[in-house]
Amino acid sequence: MNQTLWDFFITRQDLLLELILEHVGIVLLAVAIAIVIGVTLGLLSSYYSALASIILPFTQIMMTVPSIALLALFIPIFGTGFLNGLIGLVIYSLLPIVRNTYIGIKEIDKGIIEAAQGMGMSERRILLKVKIPLALPVILAGVRTATVMITGIAAIVSAVGAGGLGELIFRGIARTYRDMIIAGTILISLLGIAADYGLKAAERSLTKQQS
Amino acid sequence: MIKIKYENVVKQFPGSDHLAVDNLNMEVHEGEICILVGPSGCGKTTSMKMTNRIFEHTSGHIYIDGVDNRDINPIELRLGIGYVIQEIGLFPHMTIADNVATVLVEKKWPKNKIHQRVEEMLNLVGLDPEIYSKRRPSGLSGGQRQRVGVARALASDPPVMLMDEPFGAVDPITRARLQNEFLRLQEQMKKTIIFVTHDIDEAIKMGDRIAVMRYGQLVQYATPDDLLSMPANDFVSSLVGGNRSIKRLNLIKVEDIDLYRPPEVAEGDSKTKVVEAVAGDKLGVALVVDDRGKLVGTVTNTDLKRKGEYVKDIYAPAHDLVGPKSTLRDTLSIMLGYGEGYALAVDQEGKPRGAVSVDDIFSAVKDNE
Repeated sequence: MNQTLWDFFITRQDLLLELILEHVGIVLLAVAIAIVIGVTLGLLSSYYSALASIILPFTQIMMTVPSIALLALFIPIFGTGFLNGLIGLVIYSLLPIVRNTYIGIKEIDKGIIEAAQGMGMSERRILLKVKIPLALPVILAGVRTATVMITGIAAIVSAVGAGGLGELIFRGIARTYRDMIIAGTILISLLGIAADYGLKAAERSLTKQQS
Repeated sequence: MIKIKYENVVKQFPGSDHLAVDNLNMEVHEGEICILVGPSGCGKTTSMKMTNRIFEHTSGHIYIDGVDNRDINPIELRLGIGYVIQEIGLFPHMTIADNVATVLVEKKWPKNKIHQRVEEMLNLVGLDPEIYSKRRPSGLSGGQRQRVGVARALASDPPVMLMDEPFGAVDPITRARLQNEFLRLQEQMKKTIIFVTHDIDEAIKMGDRIAVMRYGQLVQYATPDDLLSMPANDFVSSLVGGNRSIKRLNLIKVEDIDLYRPPEVAEGDSKTKVVEAVAGDKLGVALVVDDRGKLVGTVTNTDLKRKGEYVKDIYAPAHDLVGPKSTLRDTLSIMLGYGEGYALAVDQEGKPRGAVSVDDIFSAVKDNE
């Protein structure tokens, strides 16, 4: 590794740690909120096909809006800062979570659901004891996709003043401080990789438990 | 006594222009197995599923113990009816024990009682709880999964059971064995069972009464014997098939006929003793039993040529035995498969009951006709 870059990591470790925590914090909070909203929407879509035909394309369209544009559009509504960034990240996390929840539920073998009905389980019990547990690996895969994706996108929310490792990149650009840009990039990538591996391991242990 | 009664039952699925079930009138007697049989799309499965309101009938009435099933809350109705479906529908994320416990949990049984009951049920269907209760369905063979499906449906001891091709997804030998075991259970349980199949041989073997359906209509409702001897129309006779004498073999079980008993020798007996026994037997065979009386093998003239002082050195291990619930058709195919003139029958404990010869099968069919 380049000597000056290494020095940067050593001398600015307090700042880096703070930015990492900020970054992880906003990502985790966004994913947590997106899980609550996304799983709910996904489940509702699995029950009401009319709703599914609205929600699924809508989340898809929101994904195609460039993140920087979306955040800029929110400025008049939410102003700059943490809230604006958070809402943007939640919106980006929704699609994979909603879609995977919907698919996870829809792909359960019809025979299993019918057996549960025939056994005298109520719809609520079927949802809690059969559908959600069986869809969980697929839902978790959606959560993983969302987490990895918004770990990257979270670099951009720094532009609206929501903090995080993106600060390094934006400040680095402003000051043409190359090491700062590279340090930010490396750390964000590492976070993304860590999230990917961690959640993949969780998925695997869950699938193993089920089979 | 009438347990289930279908009265002018009609089912039309939304968006369909024909009736899936067209004016079904049928009475199912308590403690009987009623088989619904017919080609696919004939309305047999639909009829079955209207019984526990998985499908709601369009018009007509279905009475269970004289109560219209529409007047019973569907959840309560289903908790009182055992349900085994095609491909079994075991919950893949739950252990075998949890699968069997499903209805008991829904009925809010106390935990220790559930545990005890699950073990009892697994033993009943011939699965050792020590080995299987903690496994998942994917760790079981097809036949074992079917057993779990039956155990799950029987766990709360419901008086009525609905079974949709419960032994469909296994090979013919395993299927025959599962059928035999189920008939043995039913002999003690006396459940009222609605059993759907497309296999007429299975219908004749398992049914106390058979309902033949076609295009949503009930074509004939009769005992297997009457169905074979008096098919209502060409459709029924073609379903039953040309070879009715062969079909009739499904009606007669090994336990129904007198069995010839070849001589028995113990594993530790001397060769001289078995030579005598074989020579004196009309089939030319002696049965070898172990110290608990279980049939372990046979000795015929071929085996006597082997060197050895004792029976245990020369006997041929027993293979493909038939049980009391095996039909003569199963028995005949075993004979044909091994090219021998007889098949050996054992009881539930594996003790020898005797030999079924080709002559026995001929005379049994003759008597039956």
